[in-house]
Amino acid sequence: MRRSFKISFLLIVMMICVLSGKCRAGDRFIRNSAFKGDRQIIVTFAGPVSDVWANDISNFTVNEKPDPDIMLEIEDSTLSLDKTSLVFTFKDPLNREVPHCLTLKQIIADGRSQGTATVTLRKNYLAHLFSVFLGAVLIQNFVFVKYLGLCVFLGVSQKKSTAVGMGITFTIVIVFASMLSWFLYRFVLKPYHLDFLQVIVFIGLVSLTVQGIDTVLRKVNPALFKSFGVYLVLVISSCIILAVPLMLAANDYDMFESLMLSLGAGVGFLLALFLMASVRERLELANVPTPFRGMPIAFIITGLFALSFMGFSGMSLF
Amino acid sequence: MKEIVKIIIGLTISCLFAGVVLGGVYVITAKAKKHNQYLDVQQTMTKLLGYDKVVPPDLRFNHIHRYIIENGDCTCLGYMLPVKREGDEGCALLVIDLQGRLAGRYKIDIQPEKALNEQDRKQALEKALDGEIVTYADTAVIATLGGRRTAYLLAGKFPGFKGFIHVMPALDSGFRILGLEILEHSEDPGLGGEIEQVYFKNQFKGRDLDHLKYLKVIKQPLSKEYKIYLEAKKPEEIYSNADLAEIEKKYQNSDIHALTGATISSRAVTRGIKNIVKKFIYRIRILDRVISENKIPATF
Amino acid sequence: MSSSSRTNRELFINGILNENPIFRLALSMCPAVGISTTVMNGILLGIAVLFVQVFSSCTISLIRNHIHPRIRIPTYTLTIATWVTVIDLVLAAFFPTAYKSLGIFVRLIVVFCFITCRLDVFAARNRLFPSCIDALGMGCGFLLGMVVVGGVRELLGMGTLLGYNILGFRPMFFFALPAAGFFTIGFMTAAFNHMETVYNRKKSTSRGSAASGAGL
Repeated sequence: MRRSFKISFLLIVMMICVLSGKCRAGDRFIRNSAFKGDRQIIVTFAGPVSDVWANDISNFTVNEKPDPDIMLEIEDSTLSLDKTSLVFTFKDPLNREVPHCLTLKQIIADGRSQGTATVTLRKNYLAHLFSVFLGAVLIQNFVFVKYLGLCVFLGVSQKKSTAVGMGITFTIVIVFASMLSWFLYRFVLKPYHLDFLQVIVFIGLVSLTVQGIDTVLRKVNPALFKSFGVYLVLVISSCIILAVPLMLAANDYDMFESLMLSLGAGVGFLLALFLMASVRERLELANVPTPFRGMPIAFIITGLFALSFMGFSGMSLF
Repeated sequence: MKEIVKIIIGLTISCLFAGVVLGGVYVITAKAKKHNQYLDVQQTMTKLLGYDKVVPPDLRFNHIHRYIIENGDCTCLGYMLPVKREGDEGCALLVIDLQGRLAGRYKIDIQPEKALNEQDRKQALEKALDGEIVTYADTAVIATLGGRRTAYLLAGKFPGFKGFIHVMPALDSGFRILGLEILEHSEDPGLGGEIEQVYFKNQFKGRDLDHLKYLKVIKQPLSKEYKIYLEAKKPEEIYSNADLAEIEKKYQNSDIHALTGATISSRAVTRGIKNIVKKFIYRIRILDRVISENKIPATF
Repeated sequence: MSSSSRTNRELFINGILNENPIFRLALSMCPAVGISTTVMNGILLGIAVLFVQVFSSCTISLIRNHIHPRIRIPTYTLTIATWVTVIDLVLAAFFPTAYKSLGIFVRLIVVFCFITCRLDVFAARNRLFPSCIDALGMGCGFLLGMVVVGGVRELLGMGTLLGYNILGFRPMFFFALPAAGFFTIGFMTAAFNHMETVYNRKKSTSRGSAASGAGL
């Protein structure tokens, strides 16, 4: 158990390293570039630059990455007092959802040219991934907001211990299954125009993952299998396990986004199960009217949760 | 051992059977699906132009497919458009560089009707240009009535509250918004799903580029008078000319009223339309200039 | 065989009343909550499920003697997935508007537990005709459940039924909201339970009084 935690921790650290390397600026002389407000971009240089160069707007072009032909109109560029940061002001508000390409022609610093630099501005990729994750856990919670996976949800939310066990098993299975289906979709189904086989392929992959984890766990860690094995079979009958791969395919997510979305779906399910189990444990002591005992009251509580989760909607993080 | 073989044979046969059934159904439905989609789009377009039942015979849709062409480190835009040839019609690809100059002109061996199919189009393109990376970007439609341009029909998608919203805005020849159709969306019924309502879509009518740029979404409810006006199928039948002019004058500069409980969806639609229209106008002006400068026999 | 003791009519009614997938078994609730905002959606999904259930039941019933017991579940899944894909393709090709309003739920029919359950419990053990009747009953039960939930929500939420304006105003817009599906189903199941207890009590008191009468 402890070893597996260590391994997963290491994996996460490695991933963060890889990702943070990915979002560095493209040029050595440019230290940083970022959006500032609705219509400004700020660029920081490694050293002071010439103010004649910096004040000539024709040295700079900015365009949205998918539209290389449309240059955005720069209204003004102002250099800071220490001459290391430059602020561009644009005529029209920028659409910060898309990455922007900023080209600086022949940067002049210390009296000599530093060459032309092109930087890509985007919202911080890590922050974006985090918002995908949090979005799947809270804002688009699969149980309370998307209404999926209810059979399993109502079935195993009687006790906290079973809820947590199910949630963890589910998270592991869904991460493996969605990553597998992402690879297969991206590299086999899509290039060969076999989209219509999505359902049959994904459900097969899910069963395969469940069977695989079952076999491995049985051999490697029988004690763990004893406590979690029961839930493995149940996982297949939850809609979420199929809905996540289908969503990944429909939205063309990249690998890390897919990982985050599936992880978020799993954690969101765990959260939902835990919340529901806590309430239902208390409910056993309550005096519920006879016709409402069992399923009906569970539904009404889920409804209340769903209403409260509506409060997360529209929350945007970064 | 014998059992395993039995199991394998059983599963293989069932998979084969399933494969045959699925393949057969796919072959039958794929054609029908394409045809129905084509009809559906055609109907949406004529409806947006205001022709309900009777479609004038000389109404014609000219499709312009935009591609992004990468050749080494230079990026260009490619516009595939229908052109007149001796007694016949064909397609041409105009390659325009980022500064808006014509960089190349290719004859593409495909009928304009056949070019609607993405796969056929791609094949024809690859035959004409070799070695360059071509990525499909979007398609816009120029509607002509007897050779004169009457409208532009654009298509695009953008993220809404729950999923992507696919829209088709229509512009008239002076780049004013003629109408808006929501083709596909997955917003919540009763909340964001109300973007399909006529009174929401019609709020965009009549806006031009200058106005659209600064269009905002406000949370005030629609006034009753404005809503009745927006929902009217043929406002000129309900109102007298003077009343109509007065209402139009009163509301022509108002912002978009957000739907109750769906501000995010309303904002997404407004921003999306703004972007699509803005980019299209920018590009069509360049394309028009190139066409007239180089005397390209386009069909529109 | 269990079917020999039951007539076809009983088989059909069983799926609709005693083992109604939505109100009695509380299985496959996701679509019942997610898209039952209107009667039309309920009918469309109900019909899709009915087709999948009938076709899969018939298929399994036909090949029931050739299924190896160890690959029982994979075979069921494969069968259901095939038929779901068929329905998916047909809907997308010929009924695009319906397909759009149902969204992802058509494909999610694959994981509806009660379909697999019915294949295992009934179709794998019975001949073609009874399996078909049983599947029809189950499918109609689901269809009915969806229509009832959809009807309540559409009437209370939008004041309309099947798109026709019935009430002329919106009594409780809350019911059109997605979260209200939970409340609708909760209250309706409670109502079913209550009716059942009242019915049973009546039966037992009448039997009890008869027994006490006999005792005297």
